[in-house]
Amino acid sequence: MSFRRRTRRLRLVGGLLLLVAAALAAVSGTALAHTGGLRGASSGALDVPTWLFLTTGGGVVGASFLLASFVTDRAYISSIHDWGGTLPAPGRAARAAARLGGLALLLVTVYVGFVGPVTGIRNLAILVVWVVWWGAYVASTYLVANTWPALNPFRTLAEPLPSLDLEYPARFGAWPSVVGLLALIWIEIVTPIADDPRALAALIVAYAAVSVVGSVAFGTDAWFSNVDPVSRAFRYYGQVAPIGRDESGTLRFRLPGAALTDSRLVTGRDEVAFVVALLFVTTFDGFVGTEPWSAFARTAVGLGAPPLAVYLVSYLAGFGLFYGAYVWAVRAARSYGETYLTADYLARRFAPSLLAIAAGYHLAHNLTSVLTLFPTVVSVAAAPLSPPQNPPVLASVPGWTSGLEMAFVIVGHLVAVWVAHATAYELFPGRLQAIRSQYGVTLAMVLYTMVSLWIVTEPFVEPPFL
Amino acid sequence: MTEATPTATDQSRTPNEAATAATAAETAVPEGEQPHECPHCGRPFKRERYLVLHRGIDHYESLTEAEREAFFETYDAEAADIRRFRILALGALVLIYFGFLFAYAVFA
Repeated sequence: MSFRRRTRRLRLVGGLLLLVAAALAAVSGTALAHTGGLRGASSGALDVPTWLFLTTGGGVVGASFLLASFVTDRAYISSIHDWGGTLPAPGRAARAAARLGGLALLLVTVYVGFVGPVTGIRNLAILVVWVVWWGAYVASTYLVANTWPALNPFRTLAEPLPSLDLEYPARFGAWPSVVGLLALIWIEIVTPIADDPRALAALIVAYAAVSVVGSVAFGTDAWFSNVDPVSRAFRYYGQVAPIGRDESGTLRFRLPGAALTDSRLVTGRDEVAFVVALLFVTTFDGFVGTEPWSAFARTAVGLGAPPLAVYLVSYLAGFGLFYGAYVWAVRAARSYGETYLTADYLARRFAPSLLAIAAGYHLAHNLTSVLTLFPTVVSVAAAPLSPPQNPPVLASVPGWTSGLEMAFVIVGHLVAVWVAHATAYELFPGRLQAIRSQYGVTLAMVLYTMVSLWIVTEPFVEPPFL
Repeated sequence: MTEATPTATDQSRTPNEAATAATAAETAVPEGEQPHECPHCGRPFKRERYLVLHRGIDHYESLTEAEREAFFETYDAEAADIRRFRILALGALVLIYFGFLFAYAVFA
């Protein structure tokens, strides 16, 4: 009896605290936005010292953990994650149109990439891949829904072909996709595919060839659900989105990030590594564009190290560092949470929360370039083979966009803190036990926030030696 | 610390939500420790009160009256600890807030 009553009261308190948390986030978001805006407007002459700005970001994440810890009502927490409803499934015609559209876009991209202008900004292939696809489309997978399974032109190419239906070796799990993701971003960083349409088109053809060969060998389902890094990345991003399929395949809407507590998402060390890799590659991509990295790379090369080796060693070491920090956080969860659940199991359950961080960071990282190059895409797409000599570029984005970038990084982390909180309540019977289990994960998130904010605020410097 | 082989124990709440091998809670009890095992699903716990809470949360329907009573008692006892934690958390929040307020007043 008293249990019921308390539950209702707690629910009220919980709702109130959520509101306070939202208000606090909004206020700190505005404060940060202001700072970021100032920084963008006055080109580096910032009133707030960088360390204080970064500590504020970390402090907001830490404070949001403390606020979340006030919400200890299991029923209330799970009701937030269960909120939603079903949506009508897209019809056969829509799916067919998506597949055809995806395929047509792929063919146009490759064709223009090979025969179009050689200047990156005048070539539709470069614009479609980096602005439309990598910038805007990827954002749609975590902001709206993962539509890649319907669009995926590589799958459309491979599907009609006969398959040898070899058994996909189960022990490989998701590891090939981890290697594939790290390799793809590595290629993106060290080769000129970001500006050279010919190289980009060649890479797309190679990627299509690998996908087709893999699908013929193992079957399209086995290939695209295990090996293909792009499909896996979008599947994970899609879990952040407010629209997605549940276990029975029904299309549902839900709160953004609410589906991240699903235990079916990450089921092994390989998939944990993939999630960490997804978070890491976005960070590293931004990191090589900072001045300290340039200074470091120049010093290392000055000491006689081959430039590519400097990049590769740092890349792999950085991934190791991110993975190590996460493993440390999970071990802390195990000891503070006083539990017999294995560290591996905890790593799998807490990993999806990192996806919200990765999404927030991706959005912050790509927002400006998508906005700036949007008019370029439109004018080049109007005449892909004879685009204007100097396609229009948005001269300047409003000062507050850099503030928006800060806000996206912070919001990603706030969602992650909440998801970790809700996950802990699913894992541990004790309420205080669940709170204590998050100490390590929260600290890791505070560190990730500060690193990401630092990268986003650093002015872009062309990475040396590439 | 030597760990026994991980064993999968089902912690799903409803029968139709049976956990598969990949998603089942995986536990490992270090050699020489006496875990408190759940008689319903076999999941081991480090402390008896965690077991009592787990039974009340996940197996409430199959509990005896005495076990339910024990659950509510433990739940209430935990509430006292939570109150203590909340006061500390509130203190930390105040500290963070004023810490930043002063930091901004001095450095910005």
